Amino acid sequence: MNNIVHLIKKDFKRKWKNPVVILGFLLIPVIFTMIFGIVFGSSEEQTLPQVPILAVDKDKSFLSQFFITALSQGELKKFVSFKVVEEEEGRRLLDKGKASALLVIPENFTEDVWNNRSAEILLLKNPAEQFLPQIAEEIVDTASLLFSALFSVFNDEVSLIRDAIKKESFTDGDVSSLSIQVKNRLEGISRFVFPPVISLKQETISEKGEETGPSLSVQGYILPAMAIMFLLFICNIVFEDILREKEMGTLRRMNVSPLKLSEFIWSKTITSALIGMICTSMLVVLGIALFSIHWGNLFVIFLIILCLNIMLAGFISLIYSFIQTERQAGAVLSSVIIVMSMLGGSMIPVENFPPLVQKISQLTLNYWGLTAFHKAMQHAPFQEMAPLLVGMLGAGIVFSVAGSFFLKRNLRKGLIR
Amino acid sequence: MIKLEHLSKTFDSIRAVDDISLEIEKGEIFGFLGPNGAGKTTTISMISGLLKPDSGKIYVDSMDLESNLRKIKKIMGVVPQDMAFYEELSAKENLLFWGRLQGVSRKNLEDRIRSYLELTGLLGRENEPLKKYSGGMKRRINLVIGLIHQPKLLLLDEPTIGIDIQTKLNIFKLIKQASSNGTTILYTTHNLMEAEELCHRIAIMDNGKILALGTLEELIQIVGEKDIIIISGKFSVDHGRKITSLFKDATVLSLKEGKIILSLEASKKMPLLLEEFFRQGISIDDVSIKQPNLESVFLKLTGRELRE
Repeated sequence: MNNIVHLIKKDFKRKWKNPVVILGFLLIPVIFTMIFGIVFGSSEEQTLPQVPILAVDKDKSFLSQFFITALSQGELKKFVSFKVVEEEEGRRLLDKGKASALLVIPENFTEDVWNNRSAEILLLKNPAEQFLPQIAEEIVDTASLLFSALFSVFNDEVSLIRDAIKKESFTDGDVSSLSIQVKNRLEGISRFVFPPVISLKQETISEKGEETGPSLSVQGYILPAMAIMFLLFICNIVFEDILREKEMGTLRRMNVSPLKLSEFIWSKTITSALIGMICTSMLVVLGIALFSIHWGNLFVIFLIILCLNIMLAGFISLIYSFIQTERQAGAVLSSVIIVMSMLGGSMIPVENFPPLVQKISQLTLNYWGLTAFHKAMQHAPFQEMAPLLVGMLGAGIVFSVAGSFFLKRNLRKGLIR
Repeated sequence: MIKLEHLSKTFDSIRAVDDISLEIEKGEIFGFLGPNGAGKTTTISMISGLLKPDSGKIYVDSMDLESNLRKIKKIMGVVPQDMAFYEELSAKENLLFWGRLQGVSRKNLEDRIRSYLELTGLLGRENEPLKKYSGGMKRRINLVIGLIHQPKLLLLDEPTIGIDIQTKLNIFKLIKQASSNGTTILYTTHNLMEAEELCHRIAIMDNGKILALGTLEELIQIVGEKDIIIISGKFSVDHGRKITSLFKDATVLSLKEGKIILSLEASKKMPLLLEEFFRQGISIDDVSIKQPNLESVFLKLTGRELRE
């Protein structure tokens, strides 16, 4: 054990005297987070950028205004900003890239709807943007569908209202009759529209909202995601030292001292985990200071940092069991880290993958670490965190033991020149 | 202190060490002399436990190396050919690390580091990173790392490659001092002068075998009173054989086109030998006469010069 302590001290001194590479890898997640913050906004509430949509109302009727207003109400207001403009100006602004889409409501919109004819809404998308016009299209599409459903179900009642509007006279009798008709219609369709499953769904959403706690900010997602990826690179730097020590002859020299080869390997695993822990802690602090990230319970975060870094160090030690040269290490480790990070959610949120890929994602270290961080940020109860922590710690121990065994064999071969 | 019994090691089809046996006494400076590829480093690697012999036994301090490796490593120091230390750390940090790894207490280390740095003339620069040191200074630190735990046995694998004479003398001083303190030293070199100056006994190795073993005086007796004569010129192997056959007391050590090495009493026979070459119309480019020394012993034993 004493020897392991001496080796760790020595490695820390060496890294302290040449910290540039580690600091570089530490800063990259911060810079990435900063850039994403600038691009997508920094408010914690705002998880998506607002989609600027221009609307041209050629119909200028109650219904067309109702349609536009409906698109910018409630939750949608957070994601969509609507501005009503004249068509010419709208097209000019779209050409200049000032909006993601231009919605044009035709002149006879209300007439078509009243007469149960197909009304066409035009949506012009900004070709220079990729995602935001897509979001605009989805929103308008969904709204159109809802409107169509509404008018199909209440077709008779809509006719009554239309006639009354045309006559410009609404007697008490008309109102009573319309109310009774709407009530009957609602009762008639309530079997389909209001089955318990729908109300249950609404409740579930609200309960889920309470369970998941605060929503994640862009930075709250990006920083831990990038951190895990670059922690793998930092672990790699520590383990690369094994190859360098082999090259320098210090490993050979140690091997003719009373030191055991396994002590040497464990010292690297522990050093890697410790440096990883220090770096992650620094990122957590920077996350709070620079991006106001709410990490949740700091004790839980400490446990995540501990378990995560043990897992990452163990994993890299296992990979090094199959590596002989620095060139091999560069090629193999970079590929493994990048592929695993991509699959594990460090680059693209896992929810965006097809179901099969999502299942594969769950096998990556990034996924585990990221899930743990997100759960902690959303104040998940400890019972929910515990399996993740135990899983990471267990995986770390298994990886480290296997890594120590195979790496020892690998090093023995390499010691003889 | 060291006993080797019928030690052999083969790499693929090459027999690097071929059935060597020897004993080295406590406090002795024992030299392995031989050209590159003679088997010196392989022998040292087996004694240090880095390589397992194919056959044979190694005993260090009366302990069988195979079953007492960890114990033996505690009493052994190794100075490799390459400079094996951490260049970004200072001399003091390196010595502290290697000393602690060998189990020396912090307090003892401080004193030893000071005294070794003083002996090597590096006191005052102990806090500089080693990457700022000159080649000679690095060589000295490389040696001190091997000595810091005051081992009973010190294995030195060509520790003076590429250094200036001043550093070499400093290293010799340290080695001699360690030997006088009771450390047994096993020194490999292909430098004849070093072996002559430093070693109490020398084993001449070539192709994995020990060709001769003894003190300098004992080894020189192998060539006797005769000198080693090397003649280069424009002659064929037949010419060379014909001329040397005229001298009954000459021993041909090596003969190839344009070069002959023979053992002969130069003071008496040299003029006659040269006269015979001239009489045959052979032009001579170079003649050298070597007094009996390790080089002539090596020539006599292997038929070639050590640097070839």
